[in-house]
Amino acid sequence: MRGRAVSVWLIALVVALVGTIQVRSQAEVERSLVGVDPTSLAFLIDDLHRANDSLDAEKAALARQRSTLQSGQAGAADQVLADEAERLRAIDGYVPVQGPGVVMVIEATGLTALDLQDAVNNLTAAGAEAIDVNDHRIVMGVPITQQGGGVAIDGNTVVSPWTISAVGDPNRLARIADLMAQQLRADRRVRAVSYRVVTDLLITSVLTEKPFVYAVPS
Amino acid sequence: MSTRSITGVALVALVALAIGFVLADQVRTQLLTPSNQVARYQALVRNVQDLETTNADDRRQIADLRSQIESLESEAARRSATTQSLRNQVTDLRAHAGLVAVHGPGVEVVLRNGLPGPGPTGQAGYLVNFQDVQDVVNLLFAQGAEAIAINGRRVTPLTSFSGTEGQILVDQGPPLTSPVKIDAIGDRNRMTAALADQSALPDIRAREVQFGLHLTFDGIADVSLPAYDSSLQVTHVSPA
Repeated sequence: MRGRAVSVWLIALVVALVGTIQVRSQAEVERSLVGVDPTSLAFLIDDLHRANDSLDAEKAALARQRSTLQSGQAGAADQVLADEAERLRAIDGYVPVQGPGVVMVIEATGLTALDLQDAVNNLTAAGAEAIDVNDHRIVMGVPITQQGGGVAIDGNTVVSPWTISAVGDPNRLARIADLMAQQLRADRRVRAVSYRVVTDLLITSVLTEKPFVYAVPS
Repeated sequence: MSTRSITGVALVALVALAIGFVLADQVRTQLLTPSNQVARYQALVRNVQDLETTNADDRRQIADLRSQIESLESEAARRSATTQSLRNQVTDLRAHAGLVAVHGPGVEVVLRNGLPGPGPTGQAGYLVNFQDVQDVVNLLFAQGAEAIAINGRRVTPLTSFSGTEGQILVDQGPPLTSPVKIDAIGDRNRMTAALADQSALPDIRAREVQFGLHLTFDGIADVSLPAYDSSLQVTHVSPA
């Protein structure tokens, strides 16, 4: 009788043990997965690797600039400053630029400023270094707005078809252009969309430098 | 031993056997899998944390290198009028590229997560996402903002936004999560009027109602924005 009672207690103990471990394991998984799922984490890791590679390249370029300036050679500072000015004018959109890239053409009715903002953002995120839409240069900060029934870039209406030219790594840009084209083809507002890779794309549109009115260097 | 006792012992043995099977199955299929999931997940999280630490170190080094370069340029400019003229041009171009810390009147916009709602859209709709940040930044630029920073990260002409649910990537920085603070310098009356316009930012407005997403803003007399501290390398574009 006593042996049977011990057996029953043992079984109850094992059942309780299994139940407890199971519940705790599940709870641990759920708690640790709050917020970000593993797939998103994998994407984050990929993005951070790419970001850190870019930061390494920037550090190397800046270290070279510093070395040249430290060399004290005649004209070294002027050369560094002239090169920097040329590079920044291209980034700020103040000069015509060229390079490899893609040209996308979108024929549609009813696309909005948000659609164009998204398209420009997708290309910039894919490494576009200069963008033009229907002969209007675009950098972050150039207003793309909804005006009446159309889309305006810095106050100038752009009508369909939109020809988006982007200079940058042609492989990365082609991949994103392909994804964008697939999405746009599924959109009922879009009649046709195409893109092509160009080895030497020329962007002649430029922005006019606007002096700051409110912002003052610290 | 009576027949009743034998039956009792057999019953206990049978139950013990069944429990044994359950236990074995449990260990094999249930306990190990979650343990592995947790370990893998933790490895991914550690990887992200390590990369974020490297990222922060790199950005500190970049800011330091830029500061050293500016000192060297300033020193060279004191010795030559030509160099001084070039330096003035570069300083102006750097300011427009977000490479110079600036201050001035402006607005501070804060976006905060709401509460999860039912259905598939409710699983993510309550989270601040990169499109929300992109929309606010575009709205502020459309209202004449001259400089913008997101959680202290300066926006440049090449800034882009990406991310997954609730994770916002701005350029090469680590992911941002709610609350997201967007500071802009410019005409604060114009910017606050645009932010108060209920027809602007329609997606955010809808999710304010549906999920309690928060969008708040204030005009500020003097907003300070840091200089951009990440990469602004262009390797494919060259002046025509």
